[in-house]
Parts: sequence; C-alpha cells; structure tokens
Amino acid sequence: MTDQLVGAAPVAPPADPEAGAKRTARRRRWRLTGLVILGWLALYGVWEYGSWWFGSRLLPTPYEVLLSAVEIVESGNFLTDFSASVLKTFAGFGVAAAVGAPIGYLMGRYNYWRAFFHDGVTIAGTIPAIVYAVMSLIVFGLSNLGPILAVALVSAPYIALNVAEGIRGVDKSLVTMSEAFGRTPQQIRKEVLIPTIVPYVFAAIRMCFAVAWKVEALTEVFGGRNGVGFQIRTEYQLYDIAAVLAWMFLFIVFMLIIERLVLAKSEARLLSWRPQERSSAL
Amino acid sequence: MAVLTIKNLAKTFNVGTPKASRVLDDISFDVRGGTFVSIVGPSGCGKSTLLNIISGVEEHTSGDISLTSDSGGPARMGYVFQDPRLLPWRSVMKNMMYVQNDRSEETVARARKYLDMVGLAKNADFFPGQLSGGMQQRVGIARAFAVEPDLLLMDEPFSHLDAITARGLRAQLQDIWAQSKKTVVFVTHDVVEAVELSDRIIVLQPGGRIYEDITIDLPRPRRQTDPTVATLQAEVLGRLEAMKTLSRTAAA
Repeated sequence: MTDQLVGAAPVAPPADPEAGAKRTARRRRWRLTGLVILGWLALYGVWEYGSWWFGSRLLPTPYEVLLSAVEIVESGNFLTDFSASVLKTFAGFGVAAAVGAPIGYLMGRYNYWRAFFHDGVTIAGTIPAIVYAVMSLIVFGLSNLGPILAVALVSAPYIALNVAEGIRGVDKSLVTMSEAFGRTPQQIRKEVLIPTIVPYVFAAIRMCFAVAWKVEALTEVFGGRNGVGFQIRTEYQLYDIAAVLAWMFLFIVFMLIIERLVLAKSEARLLSWRPQERSSAL
Repeated sequence: MAVLTIKNLAKTFNVGTPKASRVLDDISFDVRGGTFVSIVGPSGCGKSTLLNIISGVEEHTSGDISLTSDSGGPARMGYVFQDPRLLPWRSVMKNMMYVQNDRSEETVARARKYLDMVGLAKNADFFPGQLSGGMQQRVGIARAFAVEPDLLLMDEPFSHLDAITARGLRAQLQDIWAQSKKTVVFVTHDVVEAVELSDRIIVLQPGGRIYEDITIDLPRPRRQTDPTVATLQAEVLGRLEAMKTLSRTAAA
C-alpha cells in the first residue's frame, strides 16, 4: 500500500486558472441553455397532451395555434391592433413613470413625504388589476384612455415603491466622501444617487411590464374598440379558441423580445460594474 | 506658515438636551505647511470628530478653525477614509476624476501619476469590485493626493487592512509624501504607525482634550525595523500608557 503511494504518478502542474474558469462558465451556460430547451419541450408536451385530452376544439394543438397566428399576421389587421395595444401600454407606462418616480423620490428622500404617501401607495398597489380596468372603463368609456389609465394605475405604485427603496439604499458614506471633496449637490445626484437607484428602477420596469400588458389587454377585452384584447374578445365570441391563443401567443412573443433584447441588454450594459453581471458575461 | 490653525475648539453632541455629551474640549494647535501630524488617542476620544470638523463635514460648537492655501483662494482638502469609499459603478480612473474640479489634460496626467505611484496604473480601467481591499485603499490614497490638497486628512486609513498590506501601504505613503510634501493630518489609534509616519504627534485623552504634543525628530525614510524608530515607539507607547492610568485614576 505504502509502496503504491510512494510510486504514484507525479502530480500534474496546475492548469491555467483563467482557462479553467472560462471552461466552467461555458459548461454552466450550456447546462442552462439545455434546461431552458427542456423546459420548452415539457411545456409543448403538456399542451399536446391537453389538446388530445380535451379535444382540439376546446384546446387547439400548438400547430393549429401557430397556423392561426400566421393567418392573423398575413391578414393585415395584425399591425393595426398590435400597435394600438403596444402604444397604449407604453403610454400608460409613461404616465406611471411620470407620476410614480417623483412620488418615489419624495418618499425615499424625506420622511414627511414618506409618511404622507406610504399608506396610499401601498393600498394602490394591492387593489386588484380588474378593479382598475373596470373603473377606467367607467370613467373613460370605450375610448383609448381607459386602458392607458388602467396601466398607469397598476404600474405607478410599483415604480414609486422601488424608486423610494433605491433612494433609501443610497450609501451615506459615498455622500460624505463627495461632500468632503467639495462635490456639488448636482454632482452627488448624478454620480451617487442616480447610479444607486438604477437597479431598483430596472426591477420596477420588469415587474411593471409583466403586469402592464396584461391589464391593458384585460381592459380592451372589457371595453376596447381596437387592440389585442378587443380581438381576443371578438374571436372568443366566434368561439375560435385557436385565434384567441394565437393573439395571446403573438403578444407574448413581442413582450419576450422587449424583455430579452431591450431590457436585459440595457440592464447588463448599465450594471456592468456588478460582479454578477461580469461573471454572466464571461 | 501655518496651513491649519485651531483655537479653543469644542464640540458637544445633542446640545441643550439631557443626552448632551462633550467630545472635544479646548483644542488648540496649528499645523505648518509640509508637515505630517498624527492625532492619536484611545477609542472615543474624538479623533475622527476632529477630522470631520476640519473637513467641514461636521459643525463645531465653539472655537475657531482657519485654513490657508498657497494660492490665496479657498483651501483645497483631500480625504482618505477608513474604508476606500470608491464609487463601485465607476472605473478606477473615473473615481480619480470624480473629485477633480476640471478635466484638463494636466489633471488627467496628475491622476495617472498618482495611480502610477501607488502601483495601479495598469488597473485604471478596472471597477473597484475587481480590486482587493488593499488595492482599493491605494486608489483612495492616490485620489486624495491627486487633488493637490493644501491639507490632506487621513482617518485611520490602514485600520481595516491586514498587517502585511498595511505595512506595505505605510511604506508607500511615506514615499509619496516625501515626493509631494503635502500637509497631512493623520488620525490613528496605532502609536507605532504614528511614530513611523509623523513629524509630530498630538495625543488626545478621553474627554477630548490634548494630553501631549510630541515632536518626532527622526530621519526619513523610517522603517519599523530601525532600532531608533522602535525605541521612540516604545517611549511614546509608555507615555500613552501613563496617560491611560492617569485617566483611570481620575475617573475612579
């Protein structure tokens, strides 16, 4: 036994640690990609099985939905309704940012304003989206303003609370450092305050985006004259479930593109200083 | 010529309340241009408060402080903190430039020069999160020197570092100071460090009064291994121990 140990092969020289780290990162990325594909395949399998179980009239197969989506895109109505929904979502989101961000700033910066807004914002954030949808339709009727108001009302509390948290999370020692070096309040705002709240703002945008388009579509289902929600209602009345799912599918694709190509990319660029962003870029 | 003059300075926290506590009492001293002055004393004797008052971050309750600059304009100050306090979202070079008043070529070159002096010229484009604690503190030191301050304030800048890194940085600080000859007020609770670096040591006692003002007349560069440095360190340490005993007796 001892002889075997003594006569063991010499220990190999340590490999290049940087190459090793890159190899590990590559392997991790492949494993993650594999899991994403597996997730999609599982979803597809469940859907196919569901179609077989319920019958394709009640739950059309993925292929039927895809055909219907192609038909919608080719019909020409797609762009008009789609852009109407997207524009209303963005407009609502813009209103929410214009109202929510200053409220969040005041809540994060001053205790008095925090006391003034806190309960109102919390209550506004807990009211179900459907209540906002119905209220907006009552106030604005069948105009485009209904969905915009609904999106704004649902998103504004999220934005306000996240911006407030961001402001409260500012590292005081960096502010003291800036003051000790004679930096002006404008410089401190630009170099310390805003970079601190950027991650919080991104979290708010992502959260709001996921909720905003659902509320927008829901409001159109109840009382829209155009848009994806309106088309979903029309197809539902015609009992064309494949078309209902196709509209939903197209909207999801668009939102995924926005999320992955616009939000995720700009977040990675703006937050490249964070260790987790750098390691994911390896 | 004195760069910094302090006369009868006092600081009381929570003035006019039952919680009022005096942390600095009747502090008077001046600091001549180009000297390295350390303020030492036990924890809670008001060292950091004094530095914050000098920098203007904190108000004093009574007394006078005056700062003069070579240019005749307002005095410029640099500050090295206990922790590096770098903006994590800015590169090392951008951190250096953040505290500068202009973006001229001369200023950029000066920032680069001090980064080079602390051995981090190659890391100018790194983010602070990519550097070790010691390297970050070196950036903090370079940043403070690069503003070409009339007065450089240092608040226990090596207290969060391990002994070996701190020793290396002390040597580096001595070299940079020897070249720049800036006026420095250095706060520390480490007497050994104070003797190694300073021309003069002001000892604060509990209650925030000056106990002793000691001149350190030793040739530079000084190293801890030098017997004359070690002897003087032991002597100053002995005086500090005597002060502590005296304070304890008075308190009893």
